[in-house]
Amino acid sequence: MDIQGKRTGIIVTIALLWGAISVLGWYEMYMPGLYLGVLLMFLHMVLGVSVNHKVSKKFLIFPLIPWAVVWVISFYLSNMHANIFTGVMPNFTILGFHPSFSWTVLLYWIGGMLTLTWGFILYKDEWLSSSEWDEFKRKVELIDQGQKGGR
Amino acid sequence: MTTAVKVMIIGFSFAMLLVSLLIGLWAKRKVNTAKEYFGGTGLFGPAAVGLSSTAAVASAFALVGVPGLLYSTGNAMNFWMLSSAAFAMAYIILGKKIRAMAEIGEVASLGDISDLRFNNNRLIKGLMSVIIFLGCIAYLAAQIKAGSELFNNLLGWSPIVTGFIIFGVLTVYTAISGEVGGLLTQAFQGLVMVVAGLIIIVSFFVITGGFGNVLEVVSNAGTITAGDVSKSFGPDFMNAWGILPKSVAMAWVIIPILGTVGQPQVLTRMYALKDPKDMPKLGLYAGLAHMVVGFFALVVAYGALYLVGTGKIDPLAVADNAIFAYADYLGLYAQLFVYAAVLAAAMSSASMFLTLSGNIIARDLPSAFGKEFKSEEKQMKVAQITIFGIGILSILFSLTSAEMVAILGTFGWGTLMSGTFPVFIIGLLWKGANSKGVTVGLLLSLILNVASLMGMTWPGALPWYVNVIAISILATVTISLFTKEDHMDEKLDLVMDL
Repeated sequence: MDIQGKRTGIIVTIALLWGAISVLGWYEMYMPGLYLGVLLMFLHMVLGVSVNHKVSKKFLIFPLIPWAVVWVISFYLSNMHANIFTGVMPNFTILGFHPSFSWTVLLYWIGGMLTLTWGFILYKDEWLSSSEWDEFKRKVELIDQGQKGGR
Repeated sequence: MTTAVKVMIIGFSFAMLLVSLLIGLWAKRKVNTAKEYFGGTGLFGPAAVGLSSTAAVASAFALVGVPGLLYSTGNAMNFWMLSSAAFAMAYIILGKKIRAMAEIGEVASLGDISDLRFNNNRLIKGLMSVIIFLGCIAYLAAQIKAGSELFNNLLGWSPIVTGFIIFGVLTVYTAISGEVGGLLTQAFQGLVMVVAGLIIIVSFFVITGGFGNVLEVVSNAGTITAGDVSKSFGPDFMNAWGILPKSVAMAWVIIPILGTVGQPQVLTRMYALKDPKDMPKLGLYAGLAHMVVGFFALVVAYGALYLVGTGKIDPLAVADNAIFAYADYLGLYAQLFVYAAVLAAAMSSASMFLTLSGNIIARDLPSAFGKEFKSEEKQMKVAQITIFGIGILSILFSLTSAEMVAILGTFGWGTLMSGTFPVFIIGLLWKGANSKGVTVGLLLSLILNVASLMGMTWPGALPWYVNVIAISILATVTISLFTKEDHMDEKLDLVMDL
């Protein structure tokens, strides 16, 4: 996916998201704030993973999109179970945890680690391959040699 | 606590201090150039860098303050402590670009990267250095205070004496071995924290029987009183948000996760890595170490809640004592590791922020004002004296100005983010970020950080630094959009496209 012409738009969106999240926080609108937070992180990673303005579809399909979905579901379920059991002890637990907090443990913490960290290792060449790094170093060396020769 | 137990705790903790000193002295032999002394640039593998990054990120606050917050306000702070995915995210976002900067010029400090990105703009380097210095000093003072008070509470030793023994030794090995010794000692201290974490996690299940029992106790215990101290429990403590305003929980998701990429202790470690292709492994090692440390803080808080709720110990007069009350209940083996882990957390973050502050004063700020050193040896000598001076002054300051340290304690993570996001995150992800935009973003960040320190209030319950970060990013992007792009040299262009 080519983001050459979209980079500025993504950065403007990132800046607006920071503003929006702050304002939502002032008014205790924490759930929209959290969803926008996931989008904010996603956009940063899309920019970070691109090489020569190309974003690997493989890396988008895994780990980025599953990670975003896992976290959105985590926040939704945490909130749902917090609302259901407000002021009372829940009538069931998940691994011994309050159901609301169990999603923090299972999806936010372990799910986040498994998707992002595992996906990063699995598709590390989509982020930076040996040939791309070597090519970068070769070009830097050529420029250095050109600059020395020009002196 | 018996005298024998106290002697063993001191012996164990001081053995860790001695090993750190020996590592620092050994590391001195590996330091030959300013690049190695200031940055440890391109010298280390992912295991050492991963452990060191976790140790530097997890300060004494993570092991003392966080269980205290969980004990008093419920689970919200767990979003911060369970943010282990943040390392992989940070490296995905910026890892290759920061590491690549070390290939196109001399990179031994964050100021060097700022120079390469913004054509040696002195104002940007100066403003960024001042903001980062503020955050570093805040962290450093808090670590020294926590480490010194640990032994003051345990043994009744004067904090000044303890401070000078522990952090004096730390200052000596940090000054002589720079970032090389700093990184290796932090890796060792990170290992101590991980081992302590594993022991305490196992003991938690033995003592409580598991999370279900804790949930039941906390949901049903009501209010427990002993003497003048009461502790109220309730089921909402144990849901995901705890009992704080939920916007605070929202901030404690976004700020630690995305903020990790803006922490100097993470950014500098990206260029300390020898091979950039090891960045995914670095994410794994740092993430796994962080998982243990994060879970360590969680089980300590849950353990303390369980013990108070079941009447096995009295309610805590000071919530931050949760970790010590829990360790004292568990007995000798837990006390040995918990006290050593807290000391390791304080020392690893302190040495990190000491070298960062030293680099800023001896390297980045002088060059921002146009002062260049004649030789690398001279620059390293100045840095050693500076680190030594900052270390001594910080010990005196943190142990004699309790009120100021408490105020500075609100600085740190958010302040560092507001100083690094315009320069490195926006600056390296977007060619359109120009000197004018970044200068305005940093200037606003500095003014608003200081204003917040002076008592400026913000709307809502959101932590103040979220607003400062948002404003500095919005200003950076808006001004950059409407002003001319900077000239970018060919090599920088290659990094930006990577």
